[in-house]
Amino acid sequence: MIEYLDIYKAFDVPVLSGVSLTVETGETLSVVGPSGTGKSVLLKTTLGLIVPDRGDVRIDGRSVYGSDREVLHEIRRQVGYVFQYAALFDSMNVFENVSQGLADDVLRALGRQEVLRRVCGALEAVNLDPAAILGKLPAELSGGMRKRVGLARAIVGEPKILLYDEPVTGLDPVNSAAVAHLITEIAEKMGVTSIVVTHDIEGALEISDRVGLLDHGKLRFVGTPDEFKHSADPVVHSFADRHAAEAAALKIMEEP
Amino acid sequence: MSAVATFLLIRPVRSFGRTALSVARHAGGLGLLTWRIGAATLAGRVSLRSVMDQIYEMGVLSFPLVIVTAILSGVVTSQQGGYQFTGSIPLYVLGSVVASSVILELGPVMTAFVIIGRVGARITAEIGTMQVSEQIDALLSVGRDPVSVLAAPRLLAGILVMPLLVGIANTVGLFAGLVAARLTVGLGGESFLYGARLYWHNWDLFYSLMKGTVFGFVIPLISTHMGFLTRGGAEGVGRATTASVVFMIISILVLDALFPPLFLN
Repeated sequence: MIEYLDIYKAFDVPVLSGVSLTVETGETLSVVGPSGTGKSVLLKTTLGLIVPDRGDVRIDGRSVYGSDREVLHEIRRQVGYVFQYAALFDSMNVFENVSQGLADDVLRALGRQEVLRRVCGALEAVNLDPAAILGKLPAELSGGMRKRVGLARAIVGEPKILLYDEPVTGLDPVNSAAVAHLITEIAEKMGVTSIVVTHDIEGALEISDRVGLLDHGKLRFVGTPDEFKHSADPVVHSFADRHAAEAAALKIMEEP
Repeated sequence: MSAVATFLLIRPVRSFGRTALSVARHAGGLGLLTWRIGAATLAGRVSLRSVMDQIYEMGVLSFPLVIVTAILSGVVTSQQGGYQFTGSIPLYVLGSVVASSVILELGPVMTAFVIIGRVGARITAEIGTMQVSEQIDALLSVGRDPVSVLAAPRLLAGILVMPLLVGIANTVGLFAGLVAARLTVGLGGESFLYGARLYWHNWDLFYSLMKGTVFGFVIPLISTHMGFLTRGGAEGVGRATTASVVFMIISILVLDALFPPLFLN
């Protein structure tokens, strides 16, 4: 279980203003909202990649910010993080990139053959042909392939939690659908708890058990996809309905 | 007091305050980074393979440029000394002048400038790019410490490689000065070496290598620190790299100015 407890974060202006949220074990929760509203910041506070000004995050009861370095290290090993632009290590090939998802002591204990087997398994799980890409550098891969290699790196260590930061941004509709399908498949097969930060409302409603809407640094709505679709809140409605979104956009553009 | 006078008075004070704050922040950041690198090294969290890779990058690949710079330093010093001494001072003194200039000053400082341009700038650009493309976050997310993985191997390699490069630059610069003295003012090798030995102190060589070690510590430290501070895409990487190079050059020159009063009395 992941608990966000009254998270505050400001850079020059406040970004998160008291976000509290609980994600149950095995659940897939998507966080949607306008650009710049702090979705990725919230996700990064889960692992201490961005430290909140106030508040805490607890993973299975253990505090991310009240624990020592070793506990934080252990927490990070239980979590797989899929970055918006994959964040693959430029100087490493696909094999080396994916094997980075395994902890040092695991790498030492497994030996090269077993590491290779696991890396190949993770690549196959994201529908990539290991033989074709193991030796390639990230610069030689397409955007969709990079995302999937990033996903393979996140799952190779068999984490309990997967965090996705804009997993379909920049992908064509076919690749977007493939990645969305992978998120559901991995959640079901591995039984992981997933948090997906995304702009893709339709995809979010399809893959999630619950959807949260972050607006002006606060969590405006949390509920099931059905509740989201039928919400009476006009802000939520503008996200759930394409026509309502267009009307809201026109209103913003017409404002002086 | 008029508004203009207030403005003129406040502006330099504000500017001074901002600069002081920035210096304090960098000093704190560099101190903290040094502490974390030391802790990672002592805890055995630094991969020997990464250190060897950096030694190759920093030392072996910089070797040709260091040699060329050392040759030119020796040749230029020898030519200018020869021009000034001809007809006034016994020419064998040229050996001492070239030896002192190369070993005390040009060897360590010119080698440091080569390493700043070839290695320091690259370190900042590389780590800066990793920072803005979330690769540093990716390292953290897979449970790896960027200081142990990126900063410590570079710093250890710098400390090990720089004195060696300075030693080589000294030898090559001295030899190039000897050859140039023979070709330009006709000073024989034996006379050149006689002059070099006449005012020689063993401490000078130790002083030179000590400078190299300190510069080998400062260059990777500043370049990694600036890399970690990089924000704001490609433009941010460019800005950080330029600032890093300026920071490194100024630091080397300031340290170079501090060495004589501290160690040559």
